[in-house]
Amino acid sequence: MHEFSLAIEVIDLVQREAEKNLAASIREITIEVGDLSGVEADAFESALELLVKDSILANANINIVRTAGKGKCNACNNEFEMKYRMATCPKCQCFPSEISGGEEFRVVSLVIE
Amino acid sequence: MCETCGCGDTSELKIHDRQHSHEHDHDHTHSHDHNHENDHEHSHTHSHDSVLFTHSQDHGAKKVISLNVDILSDNNRLAQVNRKSFEERNILSLNLVSSPGSGKTTILEKTIKALIANRKIFVIEGDQQTLLDADRIEKSGAPAIQINTGSGCHLDAKMVDTAFKKLDVEPNSILFIENVGNLVCPALFDLGEFKRVVVISVTEGDDKPLKYPYMFKSSHLCIINKSDLLPYVDFDVDKTMEYARSLNPKLEFILLSARTGEGMDLWYEWLGKQK
Repeated sequence: MHEFSLAIEVIDLVQREAEKNLAASIREITIEVGDLSGVEADAFESALELLVKDSILANANINIVRTAGKGKCNACNNEFEMKYRMATCPKCQCFPSEISGGEEFRVVSLVIE
Repeated sequence: MCETCGCGDTSELKIHDRQHSHEHDHDHTHSHDHNHENDHEHSHTHSHDSVLFTHSQDHGAKKVISLNVDILSDNNRLAQVNRKSFEERNILSLNLVSSPGSGKTTILEKTIKALIANRKIFVIEGDQQTLLDADRIEKSGAPAIQINTGSGCHLDAKMVDTAFKKLDVEPNSILFIENVGNLVCPALFDLGEFKRVVVISVTEGDDKPLKYPYMFKSSHLCIINKSDLLPYVDFDVDKTMEYARSLNPKLEFILLSARTGEGMDLWYEWLGKQK
């Protein structure tokens, strides 16, 4: 539900970077969205696509890279792919596990001209 | 604009300064008609943990800028500024979050009446529309400022910064920030508060922590309100606590009824212990 405000944050952030680097336009942006970041990647991408028209990102390719959630079991230290926060360890069925990846939500890179 | 909740459209944002009756409008416009090629050909992975390092590589006219910058970093930076302002003035700042109707405003009304003789209390009220909650708070005896987020679904650090300055919060006071009733979006936005308090009521499901894990994971205290209704509902207090602790082992709990006053002394005691 907050994906629209996050998309605006991205556009503002890119605008500042573009000015800093004297970019005429942005050709490409790569954004990493972790499966456990609290951001719905599809909703975020839709929001961004809607909002970029009058921005510096108007003609940019938008690459959303999704990072799988990773967990480490508190009981047996097993590392496993964590599809959701409350997932139990597939090896020992214990809960909870520490989240060790998939919480990223960041602009990875830009290609500018 | 977001079809579900409209978040991101700040054109309707209003901060009502109740003492100076001054309104503040933000005017962001974004058009919605975009046609771009989205070919997802770059799926390379990055393992940089550093948030702020920046380097560039030249490829002719094109230039690749590696950023790795957290998209919430702006909000987080402003939240840190807020936090410093609160700390420097010895203001106890608390962000109250919950779903709509859990009783946040009633808890605040009772708290203000009980504590106002001993300590100054100020309230920032967040709602999509109306001044109703700020009116209720002011009747209880504490200065309040209402932020209407329009169609937005959460408060952010910038809104709180603006409201904090307008409200003229005194040093050594308690500042309650009553967030928009929503267990989803406010979880991601640090406001600079000292602690986050999540309120649930026994008329909600006892599995709420499992359904909204981000909010329970990011809170320090969980108030379980409307305890006077426990005989009439199937809410299992122990189960809720167990679910919430599995997400956040350090989470504290207080069971109370703002309506009858049962358990409110535990809440006042908790407030007194926060330094």
